[in-house]
Amino acid sequence: MSKVDELRNTFFEECSELLQEIEVGLTDIRDGRGTDDTVHAVFRAAHSVKGGAGIFGFETLVEFAHVFETVLDALRHGTLAASDEVLVVLLGASDILSDLVTMARSGKPVPPGYDNECRSALNRLIDANGDGAAASNGAGSEAAGDFDGIDFMPVRADDFGEAEASGERVFKIAFRPRAEMLKKANEPLYILRELAKLGSLELTADTGALPRLSELQPDNAYINWTGTLRTAKGRQKIEEVFEFVVDDCDLEIVEELPEGTAAPIAETALAESCDAIADSTPPVPPANPAANGSTKAAAEMPARPAEAADAPKDGAAAAAKPAAMTTRVDLEKIDRVVNMVGELVIAQAMLGQVVRELPEKMTSRLQHCLDEVIHHTRELKDSVMSMRAQQVRTVFQRMPRLVRELSAKTSKNVRLEMSGEATEIDKTIIERLSDPLTHIIRNSVDHGIESPQDRRAAGKSEQGVIHLSAGHRGGRIVIEVSDDGAGINGERVLKKAKERGLIDANAALTEDEISNLVFLPGFSTAETVSDISGRGVGMDVVRRNIMDIGGRITLKSEPGRGTTIQLSLPLTLAVMDGMVVEIGQDNYVVPISAIVECMRPTRADVRNLLGTAGTLQLRGAIVPLVHLGDLFGIRGAVRDVVDGVVIIVEAGEGARLGIVVDELRGHQQVVIKSIEENYGVVPGIAGATILGNGRVAFILDVDRLSNVAGAEMENAALPRAEPAIMARPS
Amino acid sequence: MAHAAALKVLIVDDQFSVRQMIRLALEEIGVRNILESENGRDAFDKAVSQPLNLIISDFNMPEMDGLSLLRAVRSHQTVRKLPFILLTGRGDRDLVVKAAQNGVNNYVVKPFTNAVLREKIEQVMGKLS
Repeated sequence: MSKVDELRNTFFEECSELLQEIEVGLTDIRDGRGTDDTVHAVFRAAHSVKGGAGIFGFETLVEFAHVFETVLDALRHGTLAASDEVLVVLLGASDILSDLVTMARSGKPVPPGYDNECRSALNRLIDANGDGAAASNGAGSEAAGDFDGIDFMPVRADDFGEAEASGERVFKIAFRPRAEMLKKANEPLYILRELAKLGSLELTADTGALPRLSELQPDNAYINWTGTLRTAKGRQKIEEVFEFVVDDCDLEIVEELPEGTAAPIAETALAESCDAIADSTPPVPPANPAANGSTKAAAEMPARPAEAADAPKDGAAAAAKPAAMTTRVDLEKIDRVVNMVGELVIAQAMLGQVVRELPEKMTSRLQHCLDEVIHHTRELKDSVMSMRAQQVRTVFQRMPRLVRELSAKTSKNVRLEMSGEATEIDKTIIERLSDPLTHIIRNSVDHGIESPQDRRAAGKSEQGVIHLSAGHRGGRIVIEVSDDGAGINGERVLKKAKERGLIDANAALTEDEISNLVFLPGFSTAETVSDISGRGVGMDVVRRNIMDIGGRITLKSEPGRGTTIQLSLPLTLAVMDGMVVEIGQDNYVVPISAIVECMRPTRADVRNLLGTAGTLQLRGAIVPLVHLGDLFGIRGAVRDVVDGVVIIVEAGEGARLGIVVDELRGHQQVVIKSIEENYGVVPGIAGATILGNGRVAFILDVDRLSNVAGAEMENAALPRAEPAIMARPS
Repeated sequence: MAHAAALKVLIVDDQFSVRQMIRLALEEIGVRNILESENGRDAFDKAVSQPLNLIISDFNMPEMDGLSLLRAVRSHQTVRKLPFILLTGRGDRDLVVKAAQNGVNNYVVKPFTNAVLREKIEQVMGKLS
């Protein structure tokens, strides 16, 4: 990849951030949360897209961004009101801009007229605003990329400063230095010399105030100058000459306009900032300017009124987004590091094993060093993982547009609220989150939120709200999609499930269980297959996708109140903290994040109530037990619960489960290797890892263990995976 | 005649990719000493704290925009004559007019070729070698 190609990619990454900024900003403005800063930020983002697109030569993008930017500029300057209609057009424009960026990125040509409709809508906004010329001509008319007709004269640096060369102008100048000016080491002579450089200068010195030599104070000002300057330069240039002394002198600059032109414009800020001419201090120049012995340091750069007025505006807009130092690194490189860290963790575990087998007198120092290594490896792992982490924002940002399009299609009024976009998750999870989340949101709009009429009838506001949130909870990431729609119709779901034979006709289910039937394969409640969802891809696929990335999905629904779907996801798919346990001859790993406590139960704690596994009385609560030895058919596992150790784990939805194992072997970081990729899905097993002794251990899928165990009680259909077959790390 | 290799140029733009593209173009011309700033405020600090030969600045930036930077530079006693080239997009005519009034030395319209950038710099700095 050439350097330019790399930079182009960087530009597109910047674009997705900028587009996001535009969309979020516009949404905020629409929802009344926008401030002036928001408008500025949106404008600047659109401008940046245009600027970058310009550098990389994406013509269509530049032209569209220009029109977009012009409307935003009108919004920014308050000449266009942020009405609902305007925001609909602007949000549409942000979608088109995003499409154009995508096309530019993929190298696909933009279909002719693709942005026409939106562009005309934007132009109409400007035209209605009486400011049409700027945008409609804008980018297109200056195809040569030059601004002909501006009195712009590029000049050599050593001859700096002249941009206006539009014929000679005449300025009358009155300059009366005050003593303060000299005390600040500003020399009138130099100023006059500078002034003379601007053109032909005729000055008269008024020496009337000059005292006798014996009374003369060398550091006082006694002389005034008046005269005319004929120059091709503008007022600006003249003011610049005086700009360091403007507070310490009386200055008048009046342009003598040719006959027939309007009266002089109001005095400039510069002249205004000079004190009134009628100042009581008699302006007197020094007798000998060169002898002016003031050693005071030069005055600081005076804050010019014009700049002072501009600065807060720009500064405030920027304050909303603190600049962060970032470097862009190819993900492949990070992935390589992640893999190496994984191998390092394994190698370190093996080293630890060897150390433990050495005679004790040799090991103490070695163990000390090893502990250091373990500590650093852990930090290394955490740092690398955080590098891979991305904000869920990257997935969330696609959703507002989805909701907008869907609500337009279904004629529903839906607002999407988002929170926790900054929550970070491993990149691999993020990548695989987009499809399920899109599907869930489609469902929410299509099936969840009712039509405005139905909502009104139900006493709700016409606008439905879908809330998308993300956050950390108990070592996992929880993403929630909740809507305030009609909720799931339990009766209909139950009827359908029974019709399809998905559940027993006599089954008695709780409300939650009924709601969760929608996750069953072959279940689809949509009576008509709509254009949006219900295209044969059901919630079972969504659940499958989520489970594939180590997540779980739960659904809660209240008829008439809405539905909440919760995704619980692991932080990372590569490395985790695990408790190594022994069952028979085999080792298994229980994710530390799931473990509540470990205990050796007494006979009195155990009740053999349900099936064979029994339950545990734990401080008054009843915890179902799972015999891993029985479940997986492991030879040599302890038969009696009281001979083993019970690990209390928290499965999905806070349900607790006691896993019976022979012995605990210790806490260890394990590198997760996929079983699915090498063998297939094994219920109850989340993956495999290589332990320090080089042996393969399976990582338990605690959430699914309870289901598996439940099913096992009824039929012994669980596939008995042969470790020998599966012991191939990916 | 100015030696390109002896020039110290400050690029000001809030977009990383744009800065790098300009850097690339400058390096092609032979400029070796290149500084970057993400906004006008930082650029101004850099400009007044070390000798520079040229500023190439975008207009629209957070913190302090290009025009404010230009004004700040032109108002500063020691750096007021620092050559300043404005980066602009097509259609930003008003901006160029405003910048011209504020003493910008030249402007470059995006996208530009290396030859154009060189030409614009030479118009300001004299022939480059």
